[in-house]
Amino acid sequence: MTRPTRLGLAIALALSTLPAHAADPTTQQLLARIAALEQRLAAVEAANAAPVATVAPDELDQRLRVVERRQELDAEADAAKAASAPALSLNDNGLSVKSAAGDFEVKLRGLVQADARHFGGDTSAAQTDTFLFRRIRPTLEGSFGKLVGFRLTPEFAGDSATIVDAYVDLKFDPRATVRIGKLKGPIGLERLQSGGATAFIERGFPTELAPNRDLGVQLQGELAGGGLSYAAGVFNGAPDGRDAATTNPDGDFELAARVFAEPWKNSANALSGLGFGIAASHGDKHGSGNNFLPRYRTPGQVQFFNYRSTVLADGEHLRVSPQAYYYGGRLGLLGEYISSRQEVRAANGTRADLENTAWQVTAGYVLTGEDASYRGVLKPSNAFTLGGEGWGAFEVVGRYGRLDIDHDAFPLFADPNVASSAARSWGIGLNWYLNANVKLVANYARTAFDAAPGATARDDEDIVFTRAQFSF
Amino acid sequence: MKIRHSLLLSALVLAFGAAHAADKTLLNVSYDPTRELYADVDRAFAAQWKRQTGETLTIRASHGGSGKQARAVIDGLEADVVTLALSADIDAIADKGKLLPANWQSRLPHNSAPYASTIVFLVRKGNPKKIHDWDDLAKPGIGVITPNPKTSGGARWNYLAAWAWASREYRDGGKVLDFLTRLFKNVPVLDTGARGATTTFVERGIGDVLIAWENEALLTLDEADTRAGFEIVVPSISIKAEPPVAWVDRNVARHGTRKQAEAYLRFLYSPQGQALAAKHFYRPAEPDKVADKAALARFPAVDQVTIDGAFGGWKKAQAEHFADGGFFDRIYRPGS
Repeated sequence: MTRPTRLGLAIALALSTLPAHAADPTTQQLLARIAALEQRLAAVEAANAAPVATVAPDELDQRLRVVERRQELDAEADAAKAASAPALSLNDNGLSVKSAAGDFEVKLRGLVQADARHFGGDTSAAQTDTFLFRRIRPTLEGSFGKLVGFRLTPEFAGDSATIVDAYVDLKFDPRATVRIGKLKGPIGLERLQSGGATAFIERGFPTELAPNRDLGVQLQGELAGGGLSYAAGVFNGAPDGRDAATTNPDGDFELAARVFAEPWKNSANALSGLGFGIAASHGDKHGSGNNFLPRYRTPGQVQFFNYRSTVLADGEHLRVSPQAYYYGGRLGLLGEYISSRQEVRAANGTRADLENTAWQVTAGYVLTGEDASYRGVLKPSNAFTLGGEGWGAFEVVGRYGRLDIDHDAFPLFADPNVASSAARSWGIGLNWYLNANVKLVANYARTAFDAAPGATARDDEDIVFTRAQFSF
Repeated sequence: MKIRHSLLLSALVLAFGAAHAADKTLLNVSYDPTRELYADVDRAFAAQWKRQTGETLTIRASHGGSGKQARAVIDGLEADVVTLALSADIDAIADKGKLLPANWQSRLPHNSAPYASTIVFLVRKGNPKKIHDWDDLAKPGIGVITPNPKTSGGARWNYLAAWAWASREYRDGGKVLDFLTRLFKNVPVLDTGARGATTTFVERGIGDVLIAWENEALLTLDEADTRAGFEIVVPSISIKAEPPVAWVDRNVARHGTRKQAEAYLRFLYSPQGQALAAKHFYRPAEPDKVADKAALARFPAVDQVTIDGAFGGWKKAQAEHFADGGFFDRIYRPGS
């Protein structure tokens, strides 16, 4: 109760006690009574306030200090908890969860490619125009401690789900990592590019002669501050251009190795984007069919060469591939050559050592000024915004390539139904990077063929492929 | 072809494995108040090791509440050596983590305890609350600072010293529990470690008495900033606290540091190691090795019980007093 309220109440009580019949008091009498009541009220208030005054200042100070210290300890505990809590991040690189110390991490990434494919009207190899999913690949990758890394990538774009990559890395040192599982063989330069980063929708001819995914164990690493990288491994042995079988059908292994140098990688000069190297594989293959012998395809993914079903791979298989790229500012150049030599045996016992070769040169130029790279345009300077000023990044690309079949393959070893002796292809394309995650692609390519001896050349192949790609 | 390729790869793997051999680093996971001691020990041992072997050894240290540190090692903190506040914490690493053998304590002299300490009171200068013995700590209006026995090895020693006094004083279990209940009712803040409790008492000015490691109390009186504000009270009875040390077998095997880790711990028993212990106010296990007798004279005579004699060893004490549902949980409830 506040002082004025108490005072008012006291005055009211005092007045109410006056006899009704008494004569009206004088002003002096009333003032005297009010003064007396005020004295009594002050005494009561002093009495009421006394208990508060018994709390010593020292005790209050201690209470305050305790509260502050508890808050301090709570804050320390919260900070310690936050420091040990895993960090969750979601951005244009995907979803990741990382331990506080940083040595445990799991990342979810993805690549989806939806294509519309049109084949020119006068091609003799009938292909239907189509929409298709070229790749639907979620990737789970990361590290468990400093030693162990992993990657698991299934493929859902085909008729049934398959495993594309599945490997574990033992990271002893940046100079020495052992990779075990299913992985890309270390041969083709364009093959080793991510499927979402290639300049064209489909890779060029050299990739048809390089192994795709294979099962095995590979030692790899970087030396000289990343200026020199190497990979060497033992694999089941994949046929040209395709994945290896799930097991090793002939019991023979293939040794593959690659050395790639970027001597000026860490320098800020015009050559810093130059890389060159050589790769090779060697092993024996014994068997017939798709697990041993290749079927070569055009950039439109149409077969133009195959072996007869009765032909066997029967002996040494050697690939050699010199390769180089240059990325300087907006300009990107990639070139590779590959020779694939395989001992084969026909049904009648005739043997041959057939050497097929391919090469390509691919050039790209980023019109909007971003840097070209082996991994494509990583992030447009001005991402596309609907109704805004940003248009993303545009890159024009061109490619010429050729694949030659060993003349000795004709007529005994080549399938007469799919038997061009060479294919030459040129193509142009436009890549539109809307942002770091979406890329639209349009390609035109024309492929011409040399006929097998005594046969008629097939019609040129004209293709218009387009792609919408979403990756993170 | 098969064999040739396999051999090639094996040779490559082995070659890189050998090349991977790197400089040696030791991680010492220790408890709260040993920061200054091991900063000196690490410098001295690394220099000696370099002289003796030519090898450059980097010694890293991690400090925190002893129980918390033990759990961190069990959970994967790759300690090469542990120098904790009590053997129960290293036992836990052996039992739960299987990182070292159960008989680890027999591998080094003095039950693997190269130094010891005891529990004393640190009070404000002039002892305004007239605190002289354990019973004063349970009186109403006394603010007692001690860390949490669930996380701090030092706090467990504090608790057991109080228990030892009460057992001798009351000779009645109910009265002992009542005494400890009243004592912990006077604790306004439970820090997780001994160093945090010292901060609470000395720097934050909370409480009337800090139950402290003797070395921590002497350190406070040794520092120019704080020596004028405090004094030590030696209770009528205390406990001999023997912080043990051990190398962590599985981790040193993985790191290739067994030789370095064992030498590091044996260094603690050397004259230089014992002198450093005394310098940092730990009672050396082998005081004869310490040439500086003045350093030894700083330790007052204290009537001490031992963990084995009064409590049947750490394993028993841990189970009875500090395990979930143990005596400590009965006498202390947060917020009560």
